[in-house]
Amino acid sequence: MSTPSPNGWGYLGEGYTLRSWLTTHDHKRIAILYMVAITAFFFLGGAAAALMRLELATPAGDVVSATTYNKLFTIHGVIMVWFFLIPSIPSVLGNFLVPLMIGARDMAFPRLNLASWYFYVVGGLFTLGALVAGGVDTGWTFYTPYSTRFSDTNVLLVLVGVFIVGFSSILTGLNIVVTVHKLRAPGLTWFRLPLFIWANYATSLILLLATPVLAMTLTLVALERLFKVGIFDPALGGDPLLFQHLFWFYSHPAVYIMILPAMGVASEIIPCFARRTVFGYRFMAYAILGIASIGFLVWGHHMFVSGQSMYAGMVFSLLSFLVAIPSAIKVFNWTATLYKGSIYFSAPMLYALGFVGLFTIGGLTGLFLASLALDVHLTDTYFVIAHFHYIMVGGSVMAYLGAIHFWWPKISGRMYPETMGRIAALTIFFGFNLTFFPQYLLGWLGMPRRYHEYPPELQVLNLFSSAGAAVLAIGYLLPLLYLGWSLFFGRRAPDNPWQATGLEWQTSSPPPQHNFEQQPRVERGPYDYQPVR
Amino acid sequence: MTTSPFDSTLERREAATLGMWAFLATEVLFFGPLFFGYVHGRLASPDAFVAGSHHMHIVLGTLNTAILMTSSLTMALGVRAARTGSGSLKTMLTLTALLGLTFLGVKGSEYWMEAKEVANASGAELQFYFLYFAMTGLHALHMTIGLGVIAWLWRHARGFGRHYHAPVEVSGLYWHFVDIVWVFLYPMFYLLERYSA
Amino acid sequence: MSYVLTWLGLMILLALTFASSYLPMGAWNTVANTGISCAKALLIALFFMHLRNAGALLRIVALAGLLWLTLLFGLSWTDFGTRTLSPAPWSSR
Repeated sequence: MSTPSPNGWGYLGEGYTLRSWLTTHDHKRIAILYMVAITAFFFLGGAAAALMRLELATPAGDVVSATTYNKLFTIHGVIMVWFFLIPSIPSVLGNFLVPLMIGARDMAFPRLNLASWYFYVVGGLFTLGALVAGGVDTGWTFYTPYSTRFSDTNVLLVLVGVFIVGFSSILTGLNIVVTVHKLRAPGLTWFRLPLFIWANYATSLILLLATPVLAMTLTLVALERLFKVGIFDPALGGDPLLFQHLFWFYSHPAVYIMILPAMGVASEIIPCFARRTVFGYRFMAYAILGIASIGFLVWGHHMFVSGQSMYAGMVFSLLSFLVAIPSAIKVFNWTATLYKGSIYFSAPMLYALGFVGLFTIGGLTGLFLASLALDVHLTDTYFVIAHFHYIMVGGSVMAYLGAIHFWWPKISGRMYPETMGRIAALTIFFGFNLTFFPQYLLGWLGMPRRYHEYPPELQVLNLFSSAGAAVLAIGYLLPLLYLGWSLFFGRRAPDNPWQATGLEWQTSSPPPQHNFEQQPRVERGPYDYQPVR
Repeated sequence: MTTSPFDSTLERREAATLGMWAFLATEVLFFGPLFFGYVHGRLASPDAFVAGSHHMHIVLGTLNTAILMTSSLTMALGVRAARTGSGSLKTMLTLTALLGLTFLGVKGSEYWMEAKEVANASGAELQFYFLYFAMTGLHALHMTIGLGVIAWLWRHARGFGRHYHAPVEVSGLYWHFVDIVWVFLYPMFYLLERYSA
Repeated sequence: MSYVLTWLGLMILLALTFASSYLPMGAWNTVANTGISCAKALLIALFFMHLRNAGALLRIVALAGLLWLTLLFGLSWTDFGTRTLSPAPWSSR
């Protein structure tokens, strides 16, 4: 079905100069440009976290000053949210895989795709500029009036950086939506699409509808900071809750931008390594759409103690409980997919199973936080931090790594060393839980977030957490090393090393520049697996 | 060097149209928070907003609205010219651009006159002026970009015809959207309790 | 021709909104003006932007932005509409 291209390296062989990479229109090369960029930012954000955990190993604030600590958690949040998590799966794996999975030659708008990467880079440079110029101490949430009046750090630079990277999000989302609508291969109806496509499609809808609100909100913060206008600052007649409503209208759906693609990844990996078709395909697709929609209705749960009306609190609390339903459906269906399957614990499978378990724990604790009375006690404590790290790191990052491993043969034409892959996955799983489980307990005991010191009786739990962070760091470095190694010394990958279904596996590893020698026709649904008897 | 991912011009045009509409949806949400701020401010301080509105130049504002809506007409006629290859595309683009420039000129002169009012304002009335400058300014920025696009279309007008006119169509969509935004801005800023001005 | 008719309709609506703002109707002025703006927007969208002849997909996309804005306004109203704003004494309102 696939003839290897002239030099056998497909799209990777079409030009070796830096220029051929920086001016490419090929979605696969753009995906790699994104991968390199987000990896760099991931380690930068991770370094900030390492310093924070170093400080928190002892109760006294003795490693950095309080202001420096504020700058650390701010840059950690800004980088991890906007420069790692949001682009990770959509802009790397989405860009690479969406055209392949639907049998297309490229995305609908290849030049806009390249432009989106440049927006990312420019936004990143502004943010790095803020870091170099001394950092920002407002928190990634830029709450007013601190961000508009009292903070004397380089808030404007970061606001500009995040505004610009927002264009990257919007263009990526636009491309994916139009591509999925207009470029599906003949026979590929909506309900024959892989769930990875459904997930990235729904994510793209969120990217399109939520990001512009953030862009305007940050612009208003900047304008208030510059011209002292009085929209958000109470001293000037403004309303800080106006900021919070606008900010969280984006930032809550943003977390669904971060988790939906991860769910899509899990739905690709688990059927493959259980050799079973996914349980309840239609419900999975509807659940994705449900999460994306309801996700827009719950933002007020970040504001329960802000002074928001109690009635609004009740409405948002109820809606937040509702969004757990489609999420739970997905968890049940992944689990049911395993039943009577022939399970193979490859590295991607370890990541995917870890994802399901950790996402479940994180999601359940979300219900704690959605309960008004409990939230009064738990908000702004480490409980919240543990909750969202279980989902963002235990969920999204694990899924991202699982995806990178699963599709590595397709992307690079090389196999990674399987044993190393499993060791890294287990190290990460262990390190992650050691880091973040104690934080649930710390939060319950009342340790506030964003503090660089704490009462001595909380030290043991904090030490566990900091030790876990060290293990986690090693776990993350391992793939960087052996995946890099595999690029030069890894075994050459066949077209379909996992015997997986999906159009991307019907072409060579790596694919030729235009993806397929002939446009595929689709006659069956996805996940046509048979368990080994 | 790049093969188009599309199999036909029609497919490509449909994709471009869908893409532009999706982009316009993002623009609605980009302007949205400003509208939100306006509603919030007006409900909180209705009198200050009315006072601010009375300082607006209603004749110029109304004239500008007429000018902009006429430019939408000429733009629509231009898109039709491109679709049918009738030859009047360049004329229509020129008229649209002239109307657009006139709009910006009038707006600029309004800003010039209003700058003094703003300097003396405070409190909620200042908020009104802020919203006025922010929203009409953002609108004017979008119009300027639109004029740039029209200039580009004008330069390449010979290349458009029945076989290929997607760029003109999507640019038209953008121009009409900018018009729609103004249609909402006009009463918000110029027409508050005119009967007591 | 339908373009010129649309333009005529827009001009009439503009005259209507301008004139009606001089009639003292209190809150109804805002209702009228908003309604007229929506009518103008509809004319532009349906005729100039060809939504009248467009498929379901484009119409849904066209509505999506507005619908989402409604969500923002509506759910925020559960907060702003159910409490009285109490500005601090030192706030300059």
